[in-house]
Amino acid sequence: MATDDRTLVDFDQHSLTYKAGFPQISHELRSQCPVAWTEAYGGYWVITGRDVIGEMAKHPDLLSNDHDPTGARRGYEGIAIPSPKGGTNRGGFIEMDPPEQLEYRHVLNPYLSPVAIEQWRPMVAELSHACIDGVVRSGRLDFVDDLANIVPAVLTMGMLGFPLADWTIYCEPAHAMVYTPPHSPDFPRVLDQAIQMSGKLAEEMGRARTNPRPGMLKALIDAQDTGASFVDEDILGTLTLLIGGGFDTTTSLTAHALTWLDSRPEQRQALLDDPNLLDTATEEFVRFATPAQGGGRTITQDCQIGGHSFRSGDRVWMAYGLANHDPQAFEEPDEIVLDRFPNRHAGFGLGVHRCIGSNLARMTFKTMLSVVLERLKDYRLEEGGAVRYEDIGTINGYKHLPATFSPGTPKGQPLAQVMAEWESRLYAGSTTA
Amino acid sequence: MQVHIDPDVCQGHTLCALAAPQIFLLREDDGHAYVTSPDVPRGQEDVVRRAVATCPEGAISITE
Repeated sequence: MATDDRTLVDFDQHSLTYKAGFPQISHELRSQCPVAWTEAYGGYWVITGRDVIGEMAKHPDLLSNDHDPTGARRGYEGIAIPSPKGGTNRGGFIEMDPPEQLEYRHVLNPYLSPVAIEQWRPMVAELSHACIDGVVRSGRLDFVDDLANIVPAVLTMGMLGFPLADWTIYCEPAHAMVYTPPHSPDFPRVLDQAIQMSGKLAEEMGRARTNPRPGMLKALIDAQDTGASFVDEDILGTLTLLIGGGFDTTTSLTAHALTWLDSRPEQRQALLDDPNLLDTATEEFVRFATPAQGGGRTITQDCQIGGHSFRSGDRVWMAYGLANHDPQAFEEPDEIVLDRFPNRHAGFGLGVHRCIGSNLARMTFKTMLSVVLERLKDYRLEEGGAVRYEDIGTINGYKHLPATFSPGTPKGQPLAQVMAEWESRLYAGSTTA
Repeated sequence: MQVHIDPDVCQGHTLCALAAPQIFLLREDDGHAYVTSPDVPRGQEDVVRRAVATCPEGAISITE
């Protein structure tokens, strides 16, 4: 309860008000207080100031990501606000604190570093071209369904060491989990779908023990076998996290960029012509749209951070998407400025939980965008066709983004064949059965 | 000019390497930044200042 001098705001990142008001909503909130309190979902702090959110992210000892649904430790509720009811597992290492969290990242980082992701660039380019080939004769596509859902999902399969064609099994549940608001009547069905997905992941884990294929799942199991304190439930949670993070965020980023570029042909050409501009523009799209809008934390002890007082057990929403529109840190924060730099955005999160896939996201986004700009030069979005997520408070994404363009001719192999060829290249020598 | 990266604060955002690729190198295992020498070569001062300004964590400092 708010009994002290905290600033009360009417805020719920899952609401339609939030969706309609993003990103301008951040200014009103911040002007009341960059650290404000909402009574939604039992009450939590909403952090919208870029400086204070950066300061808070430096204290993982005071702000816990831990999710403890069985009450084995302190009963903390993890990174989702509200915390999903009924589950017993935490969502992988993003719902852990150091040093445990770092043990997972230490195993996975070598697969996601700037050097490591370069080996995936040719596959991402071929997949992107194959997706365009599939629609190029028709003159019409849905950027989400026909491209931006497919490429990151197939890539994630490859990185995990899963059969590439299995991306379809995980795609719908992974997206539905983030766009279905917790108050939706459809939520129980979606949760059920997610549980079924966990079952499939458990099967995959079993297979990885008998017929391992190279990739991140094998790395986690190898670490477990050689002394890491990983339990199977947390490896499963981590797989779900990597799928969720790998599928949805880059899809959303791509949809936002293609939406903004719809009416700006000169900017499209500029991005094609200048790789440096594509680099800064990528950071700017991440800042502006902030695909992963924020994360929940739990305060571990009474404390003061950046001049603000918190009490042990308080819940906190690190509103990275709103902090990314703080005019004290970003001139004209609600404009997209392709060459904005410096750009100290918080779009990949801050502190020890910085998005582990940020380098992969950048590469995948730039590749998909370049292929679109090169091959669908005159694309225009269909008026009224774009469908954003019902709830953008977790992922600020699009369900559909249909467009038309002048038809062209396919350049390479169909998608199924591209996937089959990469599958045999990636898993040569491994049993795929 | 000398440049210093606080390894406990750097989280591998890699934006310093975008600002000044000749100065800031990224570790192969996790993409966190390092410099081979704290001494900033002449002519690189401005890009290093841009790297300081763009680091989301504020992990880079300079002494003139």
